[in-house]
Amino acid sequence: MTALKRLLADRAASIGAALILGLILVAIFAPVLAPYPGDVTAFHLTERLQPPSADHLFGTDRMGSDVFSRILFGARITITIAVIAVGVSVGIGVPIGLIAGYYGGFPGGFLMRTSDIFLAVPQIVLAIAIAQTLGPSVENVILALSLTYWPFWARLVYAETRSLKAQTFVEAALALGASDLRVMVLHILPNTASAIIVRTSIGMGATILTAAALGFLGLGAPPPTPEWGRTISEAREFLPEAWWYAAAPGLAIFLVVMGFNLLGDGLRDILDPKLRKGSR
Amino acid sequence: MKHTVLALCSALALMTPTLGAAKDRYVHANNSAYDTLDPHTVRDVARVASRLNFYDGLYRWVDNPPQLIPWLATEHSVSEDGLTWTFTLRDDVTFHDGTKMTAEDVVYSFERMLELKRGAGSLFLPMIDPGQTVAVDDTTVAFTLKEPSAIFAALVPDILVVNSTLVKENEVDGDMGQAYMIDHVAGSGSYMLQRYDPARGFIGERFADHFAGWGEKYFDEIEFRTVLETNTRIQGLMRGDYQGLDGYLAPDQVERLRADEDVQIIEEESMRVFHIAMHNGRAPLDDKNFRMAMVHAFDYDGYINEIMQGTVARNPTIMPGNLWGAPDVPGYDYDLAKAKEYLDAYKAEHGDEVRTIKIGTLAGFSETEQAAALMQNGLSQLGITVEIESSPWPVISSAMQNPDTMPDMVPYWKSTYYVDPNNWVGELYASRYAPTRNVSSYHNDAVDEKLEKALVITDQDARAELYSDATTQIYEDAAGIWIYNTKWFGPYASSVKNVRFCPVGNGQDMRWAYLEE
Repeated sequence: MTALKRLLADRAASIGAALILGLILVAIFAPVLAPYPGDVTAFHLTERLQPPSADHLFGTDRMGSDVFSRILFGARITITIAVIAVGVSVGIGVPIGLIAGYYGGFPGGFLMRTSDIFLAVPQIVLAIAIAQTLGPSVENVILALSLTYWPFWARLVYAETRSLKAQTFVEAALALGASDLRVMVLHILPNTASAIIVRTSIGMGATILTAAALGFLGLGAPPPTPEWGRTISEAREFLPEAWWYAAAPGLAIFLVVMGFNLLGDGLRDILDPKLRKGSR
Repeated sequence: MKHTVLALCSALALMTPTLGAAKDRYVHANNSAYDTLDPHTVRDVARVASRLNFYDGLYRWVDNPPQLIPWLATEHSVSEDGLTWTFTLRDDVTFHDGTKMTAEDVVYSFERMLELKRGAGSLFLPMIDPGQTVAVDDTTVAFTLKEPSAIFAALVPDILVVNSTLVKENEVDGDMGQAYMIDHVAGSGSYMLQRYDPARGFIGERFADHFAGWGEKYFDEIEFRTVLETNTRIQGLMRGDYQGLDGYLAPDQVERLRADEDVQIIEEESMRVFHIAMHNGRAPLDDKNFRMAMVHAFDYDGYINEIMQGTVARNPTIMPGNLWGAPDVPGYDYDLAKAKEYLDAYKAEHGDEVRTIKIGTLAGFSETEQAAALMQNGLSQLGITVEIESSPWPVISSAMQNPDTMPDMVPYWKSTYYVDPNNWVGELYASRYAPTRNVSSYHNDAVDEKLEKALVITDQDARAELYSDATTQIYEDAAGIWIYNTKWFGPYASSVKNVRFCPVGNGQDMRWAYLEE
C-alpha cells in the first residue's frame, strides 16, 4: 500500500502509470472505442487521405480507412508483442542469471559468455536478421525480440545474485540445510525482484520501440494489420502533405514508450532505496 | 595510358575549377538497385540506364511512337527465305578503351547472350542456335535463324555489343566474363564508367569519341543513384539534389511535383500494362473457376479512379489497348457475388479448404502494394486469407523466374521493350518463354500454336488476328488480372531539356538531353 501511495505521490510515475493504464484500456475496449471498427480491414477508396475532422479524428489513410480506429486496434498488437516478448525474455534471462550467479565457475562463466555474445551484437540488428530469416509476422517479431532481449535480465540478475550470495541470510539458510533451489527461489530471487520489475518496465518501452522499428522495415505484422510501425512506413511517402497519417501512430508510440519509461523510473525510486533521488 | 591521362586531366579539372567550365551533371534517382552492369543478363526498365548509356546496339529505338534508327549497323538485308539477316556495320566505332569494334565483337556478344540464356538472350534462343552467327568480314555480320521471324528486327537493338578482347581477357573458368562484367563496362556507349557501387548506383563520364558525335549541349557526367525511399526521391528532386526520377510515381506524388515550379512532368503516350500475374501452375490457381473468382475480386474502378485518380485507362487484357492486335473485349468487373459463385464451383470440386494466397509486391513501388492490399481486401470478403510480402525488384524478379519460388500473385508492369504484340502476350503467355518471361506457368496448346505462327509470318493483318485470338483465349482462361494501360509521367528538373522519351527505355537514354537554366 505504501508503495502505491509513493507511486501516486511521484508525479512523473503516476503520469506513466496513467498512460499505461490508458493503453491497456484502449487495447481491451478498442472495438467499443473505435468510431469505425470495421476499418481495420475495410477500405473506402473515395475517402482517401482526408485530413483530421470531426468524422475522422486522425484523418484517413491511403486506403480511406479511419486512422484513429486503426491506431486503437494497433494498441492490441503493441501490447501483445511487448508483454509476450518481455515475458519470455524474463523467463529465459532470470533463471540463467540466477543459476550463473549462484554457482559461478564453469556453468556460470559459460552462461554469461553466451549472453555476452548476444549483447555484443546490437539488439535491433540481431532482431532484423532473425525476423528477416523467419519471414514477416507478429509471432516472428515476438520470437526475434525474445531471443535478443533475455541477456539484459540475465546480466542484471547475475550481478544481483553474486552480491546477495555473500550475504549472511544466505549463509544462514544454507547452514539450516536448505537446498540450492530453495535458496535461489525463496531467498535470493525475492531480493532481486525490485530490480527485475524496474528493468521490465523500462524494457517494455524499449521493446515497443524495437517492434515498431521492425514493423517500419516491413518485418512485423503483414498488412492490413494496423501495426503502428508499419503505418508510419506506409505514411512516409505521403509526407508532408498527409502529416496526420504518420503523426498519429508516431504520437501513439511516443506516449506509450514515455509511459513505460516514466513508470520504470518511478518504480526504481520507490523500490530501490539505494537509487532514490534524495540519496543520490 | 589513355586512362591515366584522362584520370589526370579530370583530377586537374577538379582541383582547379576556375580554369575550366563547370561540368553539366545529371543525377537520376532510381527506385531500384543496379545490382549488375552486365548488359546481357538483365532486361528490365529498372536497370535499363546502364545498358542504354554504356552500350550500343546494332540499331536503336528513339522517340515516341518508337522508331528504329541505324546505330552500330548502317543497314541490313534479309535473304529470300527469310532466314539469313546480314548487317553492315560502321567502321568508325571504338570502344571506351580505344579498341576498334569489328564484326567479331558482334559475334562474340551474340554468342555470349545465347550462352548466358538470361536477359535478351532468352528471347533469341528459340529463334537462333549458337554458332549460327558469323563475321563475314570486319564490317559484315550474318545471323542465320532457325525459321523466319517477324520480331527479329524489333529485337536487334537488344544486341548490345561488348568489347570481346577485353571480356575474353577477363574470363575466369570459361564464365564468358560474367564475374568481371558485373562491375565493369566493356562497351562503346555514350558514357564511360567512372564509379560503380551496387549499393549506390553508378556514375558515367561522357565518351567524347563516341561514333555518333555530340550536339552542342550535353551532360558531361551522369549519375544513376539508387534511392529506394519514394519520399526521398521526391524531396530530392524538389530540392535540386536530383534532376530526374523514374516514371513509376503514383498520381499522389505526381501531383505534388506538378505544384513545384522547378520540376517538370513530361507526359507521353506509352504502353505499359499494369497487371497481377497469377501462378497458373500451382493449386488452387491452376483451376479456372478459382482464377475466375480472382479476376472478379479486384476493385478495378476503385483502383483506377481513386488510387490512380483517373490518370490511367482500364485495359481488359495483357495487350495495350492502343496496340494493333488487341482484342475488343469488356474488362472483367469487380463483382464479389460473381466471384463467390465461381469460388463455390471450385469448392464443389476441390473441397472447402482454400490455402493462404501469397502476393509478392515490389518494395519502393507503392502502386504494387496498394493493388495487393486491394486484392487482399476483396479476397478477405470471400473468406480467403492473403499474405503480402514486399521485396526489392531484383529479388522478386529472380523469384518470379522459377515456378517453385514465384509467389501466387505479383502485381507489376509489362513495359515496352519493342513495339510488337509478342512483347506482351507472347512473352508473358507463350510456353516458349516459360519460365523466364512467362512467369505465370500458363500453357495452352491452342494459344501456343497461334503465338508461334504469329512469330514466323510477316503479314501484319494475319498476325493481328492471331494475336487477337490468342489474347481472347487467355482472357477467357482468366490467366491473369489485367488492370490498366498507362501514360508515362516523367519527373525532371525544369532545367533539363530535350529528354527524348521513347517507351523503350523510359526516357533514360541520356545522350540527347542537356541542362539549360
